[in-house]
This record gives sequence, structure tokens and C-alpha cells, in this order.
Amino acid sequence: MIRQLLRPRLRSRRIGPLAAGVVALLAATLLAAAGLALAGYDPAAAGRALVSGAFGSWERFASITLVRATPLILTGLAVALAFRAGVWNIGAEGQLYAGAVAAVWVGLTFPGAPAWLLLPGAMAAAAVAGGLWTLVPVGLKLRAGVGEVITTILMNFVAIHTVAWLVHGPLQEARGVFPQTDPVALAARLPRLGSGRLHAGFPVAVVLAGALWWLLRHSAWGFRVRAVGASIRAAAVSGRIHTGRVVLGAFLLSGMLAGLAGGVEVAGVTFALYENLSPGYGYTAIAVALLAGLNPLAVLLAAGFFGVLQAGAAAMQRDVGVPAVWVSAIEALVILAVVAADRFLRRGMAGKGGG
Amino acid sequence: MGGAAVEMRSVSKRFGSVEALADANLSARPGEVHALLGENGAGKTTLMRVLCGMLRPDGGEVLVEGRRLPPEGTRAAAAAGVGMVHQHFTLVPSLTVAENVALGTREGGGFRLALERVHERLTELEQVTGLPVDPGAAVAGLSVGAKQRVEILKALYRDPRVLVLDEPTTVLGPQEVDWLFGVLRSLVEEARTVLLIGHKLDEILRVADRVTVLRRGRTVLAEGREAVDAPGLARAMIGRETTPAARPARVEAGERVARLKAVGALGEDGRTAVRDVTLEVHRGEIVGIGGVEGNGQRELALVLSGRRRPAAGSADLPATVSLIPQDRGAGGLVAGFDLAENTALAFHDDDAHRRGPLIDWAAMRGTAHEIVTGFDVRAPGWRATAQSLSGGNRQKLLVGRELARAPDLLVAENPMRGLDIAAAAFLRAKLVELKGGGPGAEEAGGAGGRPAGAAPGIVLFSTDLDEVLDLADRVFVLVRGQLIAVPEAERNPAGMGRPMFGSEQA
Repeated sequence: MIRQLLRPRLRSRRIGPLAAGVVALLAATLLAAAGLALAGYDPAAAGRALVSGAFGSWERFASITLVRATPLILTGLAVALAFRAGVWNIGAEGQLYAGAVAAVWVGLTFPGAPAWLLLPGAMAAAAVAGGLWTLVPVGLKLRAGVGEVITTILMNFVAIHTVAWLVHGPLQEARGVFPQTDPVALAARLPRLGSGRLHAGFPVAVVLAGALWWLLRHSAWGFRVRAVGASIRAAAVSGRIHTGRVVLGAFLLSGMLAGLAGGVEVAGVTFALYENLSPGYGYTAIAVALLAGLNPLAVLLAAGFFGVLQAGAAAMQRDVGVPAVWVSAIEALVILAVVAADRFLRRGMAGKGGG
Repeated sequence: MGGAAVEMRSVSKRFGSVEALADANLSARPGEVHALLGENGAGKTTLMRVLCGMLRPDGGEVLVEGRRLPPEGTRAAAAAGVGMVHQHFTLVPSLTVAENVALGTREGGGFRLALERVHERLTELEQVTGLPVDPGAAVAGLSVGAKQRVEILKALYRDPRVLVLDEPTTVLGPQEVDWLFGVLRSLVEEARTVLLIGHKLDEILRVADRVTVLRRGRTVLAEGREAVDAPGLARAMIGRETTPAARPARVEAGERVARLKAVGALGEDGRTAVRDVTLEVHRGEIVGIGGVEGNGQRELALVLSGRRRPAAGSADLPATVSLIPQDRGAGGLVAGFDLAENTALAFHDDDAHRRGPLIDWAAMRGTAHEIVTGFDVRAPGWRATAQSLSGGNRQKLLVGRELARAPDLLVAENPMRGLDIAAAAFLRAKLVELKGGGPGAEEAGGAGGRPAGAAPGIVLFSTDLDEVLDLADRVFVLVRGQLIAVPEAERNPAGMGRPMFGSEQA
């Protein structure tokens, strides 16, 4: 009986994501090609531009694709962690901005500090600010039972408009020309890796993804997060899990990851704060996390996929002259195809294997 | 009498490596209540799901009133007149009774739902069945018994020739069971057929005309009511003799482990569900609390087990309290977690099951294994999720886990509900052993072990009065949130029933 019990039944699950990916890629390619052809562009040339834009050379891949993927990894992890705990944090965008503000403030305020202190200080400030940005939603959720979907979205608006006010007012550059801050001190910037624009934020994000995966799988804390997310009632009834504390911890940590994304973006890419610093990373992160099935390791792949798409789309616009709106539409089509294929394949398998 | 209303021949069905049905036969005539009996996992529900077209059998055939049904398809089965009341509720909580009934009917035809017609017909049905249900009420606010009535109405609404009920009495109080059986009798008088899955033999024998028994997916007995008795059926179900449960000896109670003082608690709807409850529980005693479902049992159990802070009064509780919530394990297990993960809900921060901040999954699987073998949980594999287990096996897993904590206090809400005869007898014996601090306690201690004499106090909530009377050292009833002690001289069903159903005195 034990022998029989120990036999794993994982085989069918393994094939799933791979097959879904292949089918989705084919479907997305066909859809995008048809759309481009209809609009009068050469799909083949556009495709070549996309591939060469994202993968053309190591230089390009690292400097554009991976740099794009980095904030998506961090915000994707933030969303994945929150969702695993049953916390619907839609506020990664606002938390990212809070982190960016904190990192810039530290970078501008202590220009004389040594790099070994200033850079970690700025990153820590970014994470803490992201975490603090969740306090209003988390407090309202735990104290008054207010749904966090609404409150986190509202906090996004607060963050975005606060940034606008800051860069037009108190934090505006000394010249007072553009609505942006002065660049942060060199000591507050992330070191570059190699000759391109790839910065140290990328390996940090990869390590954090691995760490989060490992914690969720093996640690008692991770188990509590998964239990609360899967059934808050069963977790409460077990008597060993303080569900409020788990929700609070996961929510704060989620905000910290998103805040760090903002700090890394400032310290690794923009060096200054301005409006529209994020092209919606915090929202794309939801697609990244869901596509990854809320698995932190898969978040790396999903974020990489979106990085490729964004890098390739930029090249398509530049080299083939496909207008930006078309590029956005194609991006959206690809995302839809991937999500749909993923769902259909999973459901098909559940239907056959279930019972 | 013409042909059979339902004829199922040599039906077989496998789920992976588990043979749910091997050679199941069933023949039910028009105008009879036909009981389908068997242990947990014997294949009763699977067989009925085949009948309703929800599952495609691997072999065999199904005929309804002489016509062969296609192997799968709920529409064909419904068109042939088969209706089913499922074991678990299939109602949409946010909709009204009438809207729930209208779901899946063709009422209205076009875009507009003709809810007035549903209301009308429900009122008719209400007169026929004598069943009080407000068609406009939201399902979320109904008691469990009322939800069950809605489920039955929903099935009756479609005017079925064959009505299947999967363990409908588990959530009903005694009078509701009587009411239900009355409805079933009036149905068969109209030459309809009722197929009734059950596990309480005395109940089944009261209402059934014929009985079919399944054991491990095979039909092992098919007889008329007059040819069977309870011991014979029990034998057929488990394949061997059972010994009647011995009534436990009264034991001297030990030190006090828990005390509630003037405790009040709020229900889910925010209204007072428990008021002014004062109760002391001692080691080595079973406190039995009877009562009709929905009188505050759930809230009192949560407070008594420390899962919820009382809204009023004070609760003085020991360190380790086990809770077996109702709903056949659904409340205490995570559906998508496997056996070891569900075990970990109670043990993940236990010293024997972790290394620093990490869970020791090997140790956890060891404990899960002890529970699975000790309580005969039948699972298709270690990676099996709770949702892939049958209701009875989920309950066994949950009970096993909660006993394995070696609690100072055990709070159990209807723990026998949904267990088959052998498992229920086993659990009764366990409870009795446990309160004696005997070998059972140590064995159940699993990871820890404990000195004899450190027996837990046990609080047993049950809607089954006989269960309370059989097992409890002290008997109470819970009526509209108030705990009423039943004096020793009144220790009988009538004595318990008086405060439960007597005059309004709250």
C-alpha cells in the first residue's frame, strides 16, 4: 500500500507549461502576423526586427531585454507573493513609485556618503518605503475588512500624483527646467555588469526569485503563506496559524519587493525621478505573476518573456516603422494568446486526469 | 409491475490506480424507495454520478425506464427524468431561492428569466410537500437544514421520475429527517423512484423498500426490506462481524483544563450566536452538547478551542486544543494540499517537525503516514490532495490529525458525521480510550507521547442525541445560543428534546 502511495503522479503536470508555451507562441505569431499584414506591413520583416531587437547580440539582449525584465521580475515577485497569500495587491505600481522616491531622496540627500553605505541605504529605503505604502491598505483590510483591490489601486493614484508634485516642486532639479530631479550621486548608483547597460539589479532580482521560491517551498513561514492563501478558514481552524499576522507579513514583504523595483530602476537605469518613470511595470507585473502560475522561479521566465516583447517591439517600431499603437496591440495579442493557451491546456489536463 | 425504473448492469469505473466500481449492479422499481448502502469509498456516489451522466463508466450499461442512456451527459440523464440532490450543496449563496431553482431550467426561454413562474411553482410545491421555504430569501442567509430543503426543491422542480439523494440526512435534525422521509414516501406513491444513499442503518431501514449494498465497488447484496436487518446489512457492508460499541464506563474527572465564564460570541451575520455560556471541562471527561444545527455550535466550538476570541466573558484555555470542525473535513483541510501539507497545518511549527525555520518534510510525511495507516485513510497516493479523497476519508484524515496533536482539550463538532460504521466505531473507541488516558491516548500522541493520566478533556457537539447520550459524562443542549444542562435523571432523548423543542423560553 505504501509503495502505491509513494508513486508520484506528476508526469502529466510537467508537460503542461511547455506545451502551453509552444502552442501560445505559435498562435501569437500567427495572430500578430495577420494583424501586421492587414495593416500593410511586412510581417516577416517585423518578426526579424523583433527577434534581432531582443536577441540580436549579447550586448543588446543584456542592455535592453534583461534591463527591461529586471523591474518586472521584482514587481512580478511582489504580486506573486501577495497572491499566494490570498492578498490581492494591485498596488505594485504605487509601491514601486514610493521606492523610487525614497531611493532618489537618499541619493540626493547624502551625496558625500561612501558607496558601500549609500547604495545599500538607498535600496533599503526603497524597500521600506514600498512596504510602508501598503500600510493603509493592510490596516484597512485587517481592521475594517475593506477589500485591498480598491485600496491598493487608489494608493497607486496617490503615489503617481505625489511623484508629479515632487518633481514639479520640492524635488525639482536645481536648474528648474524639466519636471525631474537632479541625478543621484554616483555612489548611489548600481554598478554596471560588462560594457553594456546591464546593472547589478538583475542578478539581485534573480537571487531574490530563487530565495522566495525556496522560502515558500521549504520554510514554515512559506507554508503559512500558502495555507492562508489556499484556505484562510482551514488555516485559522488549525489553531497554529495567526492568519492576520501572515496577511500582514506577506502584504508588507510584497510592498517591499515592489519598492525595491523602484529603487533598482532609479539606481540602475534612470538615476533620477520623473513622471512616468514606470511604463506600468506594476500592472504588467500582475500578468507576469499570473502567467508564472504564482511560482517565483517561473516569474523569471515570464518577466523575461515580457522583456523580450518590449525590447523587440521597440525595435519593430524603429526598424520597420510599425507605429507604437500597433506595437502595443501586438504585445497585448501575444499576452492574450499565452494566457488563453495556458488556461485551455491546464483545463484540458484537469479534465482528463481528474476524478 | 412493469420493468425496472433504473437498471444498472456491471458498471465499472477506475480513477487512475483506484478501482471505484468493479461490478456494480442496481435495479430499482417504480414506486419504491431504494437504499444504496456501503462504507466510505465503496462507490455509492460514483455509481450515482454515472447514473446522472456526470461520469463516463469504463464498462456496463445504464437503463432508465427501459431506455439505454448514453454513457455520459447530464442532459440526457435529466431528459430521462433523473434528478440528483448532491451530498455537498450546489447552491449559489448570493442568489435567492427562486433564482437558484431557476438555474439550469429552461424557465423563461429567451433572455428574460420568468422568475414569477418559478415563484408560483415553488409555492405549489410548498403546498404539496408541506415544506416552508421563502422563494425570495437569499440562500446565504439560510440555515443548513433550509439549504438542504432548497436542494431537494430544486430537484423536485424538474419533476423527476427518478430522484437520487446522496446522504441527505447528514445535515438534518431529527424532525427534519421525519419531514424528508414523509416527502420521499409521497413521491413514491406517485410511482416515482427514490434512490437514497445513506449510512445510518436505522434511518435507512425506516424508509427503504429495497436495499442494495456496495462493497469495494461491487454489489454484494440486493434484497427487499423484509429480508434484511441492521446487523446483516452491517456485515454485508464491511464484510465481517461488528461488535456493538460498549458504553464507556464513567471515569473520575481530573483537573480542570478549560473554563468559560459568561461567554458570548457573534455569528457570521454579526448577530449574537452564543450568549452567557459558562462551562468547565476537566481532564478525562466527555462533555456532550446536543442540539439542532445552527444554534451556536459553530461559534461556541471556535471560542472553546481558542480559534476565536469571545465577544463577551472570558475563556481560560489550555495550551494545545484540537478542533474537529463540522463539514466533513472541508473546514479543517485545504482542498489543494496533499496529505503531508494538510498534516503540516497542525504541525508545521512543532519542534519535532522542523529544523530551525524550515519544515522537516520527511518527519511530516512520517506523521502523515501514521495518521493515514492509523485511521485507514484511503488515498490514491501521497501526492493526493484532500479534494481527491472521499468525504469520509477526508474526515478520517482530519480526525487523525487532530488526535495526533496530543491535545489537552479536544473540541469536536459532529465528528462521526459522514463516517461509515467501522470508522465511527473506531473513532468512538478512540475517544473513550483517549479520555481514559489509556493506550489510545499514547498512540494518538504520535509525535509526542504523554504520561497516562494526562488525558484530555473532550467536548463533543453532536446533532445525534444518541451519540451524546452514549458517550458523554455530562450532557448539555445548546438552544438559541444558550447552554442548558440536562440533569442526570433526564438523560434520555425525551429529556434532551424538551429544552430543544419545548416552549419558547429564551
